[in-house]
Amino acid sequence: MIELIHTVALFILAGTALCGVYRLFFGPSRVDRILSFDMIAISVVAMISELSLMGRTPEFLELILVFSLLGFFGTVMLVFYEHKSHPGPEKETKKEEKPQ
Amino acid sequence: MRDIIVIILQIAGLLLIVVAGVGLIRLPDFYCRSHALGKAMALGIVLLLTALWVHLGFDAAGMILPLAFLFQLITIPVASHLLCQLARRKNIPTFDPAKQKNTKKET
Repeated sequence: MIELIHTVALFILAGTALCGVYRLFFGPSRVDRILSFDMIAISVVAMISELSLMGRTPEFLELILVFSLLGFFGTVMLVFYEHKSHPGPEKETKKEEKPQ
Repeated sequence: MRDIIVIILQIAGLLLIVVAGVGLIRLPDFYCRSHALGKAMALGIVLLLTALWVHLGFDAAGMILPLAFLFQLITIPVASHLLCQLARRKNIPTFDPAKQKNTKKET
């Protein structure tokens, strides 16, 4: 019973990662693609926790920490890259307001 | 007793993760999708890691898993907020319900 729940959970997590892959291909903008990267990273962390539940071993705990850290910093890196390539209208309006 | 708690936490977490995945496909707008991921996914992954912590026990797991789910609980909304700020700066259009009604009538 418990092993059946674990295998079903692994298939469900693979399905959510496939939802992220769908948004990665058909996303209308780049921001959607960064969001799908975040989604895939989190579902990989959930898959590792599910593997650790299946094998009843605490050997994957450091792997959970490292993968969550890599997902978050990957997202932040992509967001700041996009910030640099698009300065945006906010800075221009601020520059116009200051001399007045 | 411990197995029952683990199964209940795991099923709740999996339901929330399925809700987040369906929301990432079905919702019409970027902001709506970010809302689906930022709340449902964070709570789902926290429930799954809590299930793992209950299953392994304090002797085997130690304080690594509470550290991991506190980290997830802080960083997922932060990443979602950064993405929404970027979308606001890039002027990504919001969802317009009038257009959606017209397309539904046409099809």
